[in-house]
Amino acid sequence: MTLTLSALETSYADFEFGPVDLTVDREVLAVLGPSGSGKTTLLSLVAGITEPDSGSITLDGHELVGRPLEARNVGMVFQDGALFPHMTARENVAYAGVGDDRVTELAAMLELRGVLDRRPPTLSGGERQRVALARTLAADPGALLLDEPLSSLDAPIRRRLREELHDLFASLDVPVLYVTHDQRTATALGDRIAIVRDGVVEQVGTPSAVLDRPENRFVARFTGNENLFEGRVTERTPASLRVRVGDATLRTAATAETDAVGVESLAVGSSVTVSVHPSRIELADPDAATDGGPNALVGTVTRWLHEGTDYRVAVEIGDGVAFTTSVRPPTFDRLGVERGSGLAVSVPPDAVHLIPAPAER
Amino acid sequence: MATRTRESGVRSVDWLSVALVLGGLLVLYYVAPLASLFLSASPGAVLSRLGESSVRSAATTSLLSASITTVLATAFGLPLAYWLARAETRWTGLVLGIVVLPLVLPPTVGGVVLLTVVGPNTLVGEWAAAAGVPLTRSLAGVVLAQTFVASPFVVVTAKAAFESVDESLEYASRSLGKGRWATARNVTLPLAGPGILAGITLAFARAIGEFGATMMLSYFPRTMPVEIWVSFQALGLDSAYPVAILLVVISVVALLVLNTVARNPWR
Repeated sequence: MTLTLSALETSYADFEFGPVDLTVDREVLAVLGPSGSGKTTLLSLVAGITEPDSGSITLDGHELVGRPLEARNVGMVFQDGALFPHMTARENVAYAGVGDDRVTELAAMLELRGVLDRRPPTLSGGERQRVALARTLAADPGALLLDEPLSSLDAPIRRRLREELHDLFASLDVPVLYVTHDQRTATALGDRIAIVRDGVVEQVGTPSAVLDRPENRFVARFTGNENLFEGRVTERTPASLRVRVGDATLRTAATAETDAVGVESLAVGSSVTVSVHPSRIELADPDAATDGGPNALVGTVTRWLHEGTDYRVAVEIGDGVAFTTSVRPPTFDRLGVERGSGLAVSVPPDAVHLIPAPAER
Repeated sequence: MATRTRESGVRSVDWLSVALVLGGLLVLYYVAPLASLFLSASPGAVLSRLGESSVRSAATTSLLSASITTVLATAFGLPLAYWLARAETRWTGLVLGIVVLPLVLPPTVGGVVLLTVVGPNTLVGEWAAAAGVPLTRSLAGVVLAQTFVASPFVVVTAKAAFESVDESLEYASRSLGKGRWATARNVTLPLAGPGILAGITLAFARAIGEFGATMMLSYFPRTMPVEIWVSFQALGLDSAYPVAILLVVISVVALLVLNTVARNPWR
């Protein structure tokens, strides 16, 4: 089963979508973007709720464009579940015309046995989404679309259902398009992530590729990367580049890793945006980091914030360049972080990603 | 007028009391004439008058014509209501305006308008009369007049009922392999049902009470409102009471239906 979107375009009065090209095999493609970026439009087009102005959508080689919803064999889980309020959970799951055995099987899989005879208004948000998922799976769809099914749930339930979805998706053998505006959900559930903005796909790749090697500033920012600095290439060797950022110099790893965005062609003197994902940065005691290895920078803590499980710490290394990263509480305590204290910032060369200036949007 | 002295000593109007008095007077204005109507005629007089053939015939004509009107208004009104609720085109505003027009038009004007199309000297009227179905001074004429003024209630109320059904429920049903008709039958109609029933009940009540357009189009066979008018003109108010009481009873029953099986749009 492969879902293929080719040169898909549509437009509304104030919104242009596309052209979008995507291929989803038996995997989960998480579509990540801010509200109004066209995520839901993408799902509507695949589901058949709206028709494109041009382009094609094929599922296993069969063209879907022009076919009505009911003839597409594409299952959709709506944001609020869209359960039929006048039917019990059991009737909802059985709606596609499946037998009792299948309903029982799905109820067991999604832990719904206790709520099958209740009506949707009496179910909790998490239960509603489970019923919606069971109802969609009951129809045995050839592709599965999910429109932010976790967005209206409380954090603990969201986390638990996210884990369950991860296991469920692994057991499915169909293309899954999962739309979300939450980077954590996208990286947790997506085999690959597609970042969308203003109706176009900015970047597609594995979660680590998208997080560590964003192709532009928007992708970097939207995946939680605040560490974006203007820099200039000062030296290049066959193995790496040196980039001047403020008062500091950063060394990159072998350029092969970053060929995709044209780093190979970066000459000495080129302007670049330096991107370092916060998760790749380590903080250390400035005294212990004497020899430090590559890219050991010393700076001053300018602010920190307790975010529940982690501390968010910003360390300025001079000339307004401040690296932000998260540290676990034990590390935070061990380092004795406080505003104004000195800290070493360790940036592995392979975490230093360069975005060439022309790619800037 | 109720007033209250504040701590500051400034006397201010107690607006809640004022509102209650104003509202109470209005309710009294509705109830008093109805109560007075029922007190104006003795039960014996009512029963004997209701036994007269002219009254029985008027009641039959009214019930029959209002029933046919309701069926027609529903059959033609529901598809239009659904289209108005779901279509995303600027034409819906214009069409809705046209649908509401009979509601704001004086009924007699409605009758005049209809006469210009189906009157005895018009093309349609002559053709229908030649075919043996005269459109004026006939049951068909009564139904035409009632449909003109009553069917908008079905369209407007059902439109609101359809709009209250979340469109994503229809998409969900269809993505589960059910076609448009199965989706309408299983999802849309059951959920919009109470609202639609309210529209149908309102249309029936309006059709039963229709007078102005009916007078213009079809004085005969007499409906109950026409019978009341004729009795009032020929024999005075007393002879109009029993028919009026019958009409009030039918209207109250319609309201009861509205409040029990249907969703009263104004509750």
